[in-house]
This record gives sequence, C-alpha cells and structure tokens, in this order.
Amino acid sequence: MLKRLAAIAAALSLALFGLAACSSDSATSEADCGSENAFCIGLVTDTGKVDDKSFNQSAWEGAQAGATAVGGFAKYIETVDPKDYATNIGQFAENGYNVIIGVGFLMAEAMSTAAAQYPDIKFIGVDQFQGAAVPNLTGLVFPEDKAGFLAGYLAGQITTSGKTGAVLGTDTVPPVRYFGEGFRNGVAYAANELGKDYPETKLVYHAPDNAFNDPAWGGATAKQMLSQGFDVIFGAGGNTGNGALLQIAQTPGAYCIGVDADQWGTLPEAQPCLVTSAMKLIDKGVAALIEAAKDGSIAGGNFFGEVGLAPYHDFDSKIAQEIKDKVAAITPQVLDGSVPTGVKL
Amino acid sequence: MRLKTRYPLIVGLVLVFAYFYAQNGIVATSVSFSAIQLALPLALAAMVGVMCERTGIVNIGIEGTMLISAFTAFFLGAIFKDTVLGVLVGIFTGSMMGLLLALMAISWKMDQIIAGVILNILAAGLTSFLYRQNYSIAGTLSPIEIPILSDIPIAGAILSFHGPITYFGIFIVVALWFALYKTSWGLRSRAVGEYPSSADTAGVSVIKLRYINVTIAGGIGGLAGAYLSLEAVGIFERGFTAGKGFTALAIMIFGRWNPLGAFAAALFFGLAQAVTSQLMIDEVVEIPQQFINILPYVLTIVILAISAGKVRPPAAEGIPYEKEKA
Repeated sequence: MLKRLAAIAAALSLALFGLAACSSDSATSEADCGSENAFCIGLVTDTGKVDDKSFNQSAWEGAQAGATAVGGFAKYIETVDPKDYATNIGQFAENGYNVIIGVGFLMAEAMSTAAAQYPDIKFIGVDQFQGAAVPNLTGLVFPEDKAGFLAGYLAGQITTSGKTGAVLGTDTVPPVRYFGEGFRNGVAYAANELGKDYPETKLVYHAPDNAFNDPAWGGATAKQMLSQGFDVIFGAGGNTGNGALLQIAQTPGAYCIGVDADQWGTLPEAQPCLVTSAMKLIDKGVAALIEAAKDGSIAGGNFFGEVGLAPYHDFDSKIAQEIKDKVAAITPQVLDGSVPTGVKL
Repeated sequence: MRLKTRYPLIVGLVLVFAYFYAQNGIVATSVSFSAIQLALPLALAAMVGVMCERTGIVNIGIEGTMLISAFTAFFLGAIFKDTVLGVLVGIFTGSMMGLLLALMAISWKMDQIIAGVILNILAAGLTSFLYRQNYSIAGTLSPIEIPILSDIPIAGAILSFHGPITYFGIFIVVALWFALYKTSWGLRSRAVGEYPSSADTAGVSVIKLRYINVTIAGGIGGLAGAYLSLEAVGIFERGFTAGKGFTALAIMIFGRWNPLGAFAAALFFGLAQAVTSQLMIDEVVEIPQQFINILPYVLTIVILAISAGKVRPPAAEGIPYEKEKA
C-alpha cells in the first residue's frame, strides 16, 4: 500500500514536469539580449498556458504589443510546476533580459526574490499587489471588485427570478474573491435602486486544488443553480468558470457573464447566454508598462490597470435601452470610486 | 463492498437526501442530479482500475488515458462535426492506450507503475503540444428523456435527462459486475489476478486474457474522457481531467475492487461535491468556504475509517507473469 502511494505521488510529480518556451518573431534574437541596442522582454506564465483564452493569453498579447511598440524582442516560458517559477524567471534574468513579466498572484514571492537579486532588470508582476514599493518591481493590479460590481449591477437589472450567482475559482486567490464579492454587491446595489428585495447573490468557490481547470465541476455546479431558478450566473475562474458558461449556454432564457477577457471572442460556444464579460485589460496594462520600462518612466509599487464591461454583442438589441443607459451612467462613477463597491480589499 | 460498509453508507445517503428534500424538493433533486454528473467520470475511471487490477495489472495511467481520449474525441468530433464519431474515436484512443500499457507491462515486463507514468506523461505532452484554439464541436451530446421514468416524481428529476454516455456508463458498471462474478470470463480473469500460475495450469492463457482485459479497460477510460469533452462541457482544455484519474484509484480501493462498490463510492464522492456546492449556495452555515471545500475529502476519510476492514488487492497485482519459472 505504502509502495503504491509513493508511486502515485512520484507519478503525479512526474506528470507535472515539463517545460515549454517560445518566442515572437522579431528582428532581434535572444542572442542579442544584454547588448546595448537590444530590448528583451521575457514572460513567465503561471501554471496556465499562454493560449488559455484568458489571463495568460492576455498578458502575452500585451507583451507582444509592447515589444512591437518599443522595437524589442519578446519570449515566454510556460510554467508547468509552481516549483519552477524561480527557475523560469532566472532563465530570463541570466540571459540579460531587460524586462521580466510574471503572470499571476501565485508567483508574487518568486518575483520579489528575483527583483532583489537582479536590481538592473525591471520586473512586472501581473496581479501582484505590492505591499512595500521596490524600485524595480511594479505590480500590475486591477480593481476586480469594480469590474465585478458593474457585472453585478447589470445582472441585477436583467434578472427576472432575482436569483443570481457566481461559479468561481478559489477564494485563496484574492482577485477571484474581489470579482465575486464585487458582483454580489453590484446586484444588491441594482436591487436597491429598483426597490426589489432579491435574495443575496450566491458565490460558489471550487476547492483550491485544480481550482481553475475543472470545467466539469463548473458545469455541474451551474446546472445545479439553474435547476434552482438562478437566471444570471457569473463564471469567473479560468476553465472552471468556462465550464459554467458552456452549461448555461445550453439553457434557454438564462444569462451568463464571462471574465478577464471579452469571452464573446475567446469562448464563442458561450455566445447564446453571454451578455457581457467583466474585463481586466491586462494586455493594455502590460504594453503600457513595457513602454514605460523602455523610456525609464516606470516606477516601483503598484500600477492600476483598466477594467470594464465588454460590449453586449448580440445582446445589444435584447437589453432594454433604459438598462444600457443606467449601466453607462454608473460605469464612470464606479471606476472613479464615487460609487464604492463595498468590497474589503 | 461488504455489509459492514454498505449499511452506514446507504443510511447516510438517505438521511442526507431526506434532509435536503425536507428543505426544498428542487434542491434535493438538483443536488442528486449533479452528484450523478460529477460521479460518472470517476466511476468509469474506477472501472478501468477494477478491470485492470482484477487481472493483475496496475494501471495508474487512467488520468492520461482519459486526457488523451478526451483530446482525440473532441478534435476529431470537431473536425468532422460529428459528436458520435468523436465518442467512438475516444473509445478507440483509450483502448490503444490500454494496449500500450499491456505491451509495456505484460510483454516487456516493465515495472507497471513506470508504465502508467509513461501513459500520463505521453498524454500530457502530446495533448499540450497538439492543442489548437478555435475548434468547436457541433454540440454536446443531448440529454435523453427516459419515457416512463421521467414521469415519476423524485426519481424522474434525478435519473432522467442525463446524456447518453451517462446511461451507457451505468450499463457498463452493471455489466462489468455481472461479467466479473457471473461468467466464466470473470472467473478466469479473477483467477489470473490472484494466482496466475494455477490459472495457467487450468488452461487459461494468462498473457492473452491480460492483454484483452487491459485493452478493453482502456476503452472504458476513453469513454470517460469522451464524457468530459463531449457530454459534460463540450470543450477540451489542457489538463482539464484535473486529477480525476487519480481520484478514481482511491475510489476503486474504497469500493474494494468491485464494480458496484466502486460505483457507490463514486456516487458518494460526487454527492459530497454537490452538497459542498449546495452549502455555499444555501449559506446555511457560517463557516469559512475553505472548510466547506474540504468536506468531500473529510467525509471520505471518515467513511473509510468507519468501514475499515481488511482491504486486500488482488494477489498477483503488479507482478509480470513468467511461465515456468525455474
């Protein structure tokens, strides 16, 4: 028995082992990195893939856009095992890269260690809130609570049953919790405005293991909620959330809301239910920070990226003009903070 | 599963159901429905384990078998816009993985744990490398309304409107149980897993039977993969089997290498997951979400502790068969 368990543990760790790397086409190559006229940008993903249709993909697109804007060279490494964060960052650092981007909250510790070790390299940590400012480490963070709040406000306007919910990754990753709680408070705000007494929005979190890669669970959970009369569901948790969106798309009359990117494009199968997505403009933020790193204006601490709702696409004609006007009116107020989201950050 | 385990488990399940049903009928039925959906891939994967180990082959490559089958099922289903074809491709891929395991474990007499690891690495690597965006299937397998059953109040809402693989999967569980315990094939298979040399003396071809069983078991793993990509969600994502193939090994042991026992254990695990979600939906308890999330695992440990008895794997498991040892 013990032998079997040890073997399974060994098998698990072996299955997780691996490394993939790729680079964008550019005039300069990795060999030039470290020389005067080359500007090299390295991106390390969290355990997701660079074409994950959301988080990492968005960051990589930003890195490519930034590289084009400054005439630099960009390359990524996909992390397979969280143990390799430091190694992957170190690969870029040792090769003389100018900017290293680490994607994801879970990499924060490895990034700050590397920033102390390589003071001449600019580090950009996506979703990594910086408690204390380090001159060469910039956290690209987003007010997810505001994006979630706007999505919730819309949900509160369009729900007919009054039952709204969210299928989420794990709340051990703070941005996921901000999205969820922002959503809940947004619904409550809309209900209050409409004078309706809706039950509190339900937030269902996956267990921390495989939290972002369990679409079967997301689908089953969404189905469970739909059977109980929920009619607007927010799916925020990578592939787990996507599983929920796909399940809702098969249920006529129910609405779903995507996350991170405009999922109308990234997850077309969800289009039948997808009214909008609570977006974090990661690509824009990454590109802006790369340009700032190039011209030297980048500063340590936190850099707040933009959030907002994605276009309604086909639902544009199905949502009442009055609701669209209300959402358009409240959006700037939420973004500038004059309507507080009430989420404890 | 022995009587000692069976009763507390059944009583527990009925009590949980009654509690939820008393609160809200729709909640109880939708939780049970979810439980079946969450249990099915685990149950099918556990069948792979049962079938392999009963003939003496350890298969820890179930995760990889499911992953690569989900992959081929999805992409061929998407390319040819034919979901049923996708399912068949998934089953075929799974059986090829089974055959590969058989080749390594039986003919080459490799360490079976390593052979299983190879399957997992192969599947993770190939699917990761070959994955492409922008493919979609014509639609997931549609749910089936079972005629008379769907009119029965509670049972209809729970048992009807599942997809075809779910029903076929339940059929496989029952058929495998019947085959293992009531047919000569089953007797021979079990003999080969317990005491291959006497089975051989009795005229059973150990090698051939192991090859056949491991290959068929792989096909069941392929069906589990096709369930994930074509019936449960309708997408393929890298690594989206999310450890189900490993959980299935625990379920197999929990079910004492018996198909019906493993199915019950899978249902129990699925139910625990669905109840976990429901506790968050209901917010009946003011306890941190992380504690609710560990419920399925805690319950599994508790049940295992209650039902603790002699759990004995097939005797010849993991040992390559060598004829006429000197």
